[in-house]
Amino acid sequence: MADSLEPIVSFRGVAKSFGDKSIIDGMDLDVREGETLTIVGGSGTGKSVTLKLLMRLLQMDAGEIHAFGRSITELSTQELLNLRRRIGMLFQGAALFDSLTVKENICYPMVEHNWGTPAEMTDRVSQVLEMVGMPGIEALRPPELSGGMKKRVGLARAIAVEPDIILYDEPTTGLDPINVRRINGLILQLQEQLDVTSIVVTHDMESCFTVTDRIAFLYDRKIAWVGPREEAASSGHPVLERFIQGGRGILEPEEIAVLDEV
Amino acid sequence: MERLLRFVDDIGGLGSLTYRTFSSMFRQKIDWNQLVQQMDRAGVGSWSIATLAAVFTGAVLALQFATGLQPYGASLYTGKLVALGIVRELGPTLTAVLVGGRVGAGFTAELGSMTVTEQVDAIEALGADPVQKLVVPRMLACLIMLPLLTVLADFVGCLGGMLATVAEVGVTPRFYVEQIVDTIFVVDMFHGLFKSVFFGYFIAIIGCYTGLKTTGGTEGVGRATTDSVVAISVAVLVGNFFLTKLFLVVYG
Repeated sequence: MADSLEPIVSFRGVAKSFGDKSIIDGMDLDVREGETLTIVGGSGTGKSVTLKLLMRLLQMDAGEIHAFGRSITELSTQELLNLRRRIGMLFQGAALFDSLTVKENICYPMVEHNWGTPAEMTDRVSQVLEMVGMPGIEALRPPELSGGMKKRVGLARAIAVEPDIILYDEPTTGLDPINVRRINGLILQLQEQLDVTSIVVTHDMESCFTVTDRIAFLYDRKIAWVGPREEAASSGHPVLERFIQGGRGILEPEEIAVLDEV
Repeated sequence: MERLLRFVDDIGGLGSLTYRTFSSMFRQKIDWNQLVQQMDRAGVGSWSIATLAAVFTGAVLALQFATGLQPYGASLYTGKLVALGIVRELGPTLTAVLVGGRVGAGFTAELGSMTVTEQVDAIEALGADPVQKLVVPRMLACLIMLPLLTVLADFVGCLGGMLATVAEVGVTPRFYVEQIVDTIFVVDMFHGLFKSVFFGYFIAIIGCYTGLKTTGGTEGVGRATTDSVVAISVAVLVGNFFLTKLFLVVYG
């Protein structure tokens, strides 16, 4: 990589295993400020784990992760809190708190980070709900929302305290085609409006190509290929090429066999 | 061997969660709303089942003692034995097993569902501490409510014993109450309450720990809940023996 800019997030030799099962081993990855980077890979290859390592929701076994120029393992409690304020995360199932209303859900990070007065929070809640295209639903509870609506509220909660980086864990999984397009549109729109860095994790190649600047391909426990999305189809990495083609047309039996190994 | 390792692992996990819970209790602010809500659910919600169990246990003890003591002409002393049995043993233990089944299962199911739907991760990602938010209020609620429920169970259990004794042996209620007042000292009450605080700790720590380490989706929540109820009952019954021994060594 020829860029002179210090990456905003970098992974060096990161390893993580659960019990005997090694999920990630020797992973290197740089994320540049202001870009949208998509990590693609098959199910269970450690994409979500990567995001959780960055948030320090999981502890890595080896290696180093730097964010905003600091190693995240060296942070004090207060600094870790600050790191988590600067990184917003949209969870796969949105992970809204069922016992709280939409408004209370969105206020949650603001209260924890002493973001402002109650009046300012109320304004901010309606502002972020407006941004995700769902104004006026403050009083509803998560069980009353559809899957697509939950994701959008989850996104509103993730951006409430104005993070510098947004992490998307499978943002379009389990949604109908219209909602998939809506979420993709939102990712692009927020990228423009908020001037943030986004890391998206997905196995949905179509939305990957819609929203991303660069693609990182996670295969066999490390990043096997990383580059601009235009080059991904001719990356020269056979499995990645199959993976991209996997989204289109009907697969030949031998192709399915190859993809099964991914 | 693998089961042994897992057991040791769980003991370590329980110990570490205990440390984090109590250090958070004293260092971080307590969520009073949550605490009141948990006390209401765990304590107030359990009084009916604790009372019901105590009445009938007191009564059945009285029946057994009245009959068993008759050959020795000692049925008059039924009240003393019933009261001792209730206040020292059955009040705290039975309450803990029942409340443990009800409340502990609730903790595990709730925290387990939150874990598998990543809500616990979300609490952390949004800048809060899941131990402070979820475990501390439940722990405090159990530590406070278990002794209170035990006092209630002691009282109601003796009352149940009185009904049966009066009916079976034919003593007056006044005589029965006088016997209890003669027999039960503060140290007996304290014996039961001392144990009930530990039982409250067992219920909260096992219920929360099992919930927080749930894996495997909704099916995992079901499995965790069953495991949790079994573990709580075993901890209460086995722990009761050792706590009793400890108390007797210290206070005679």
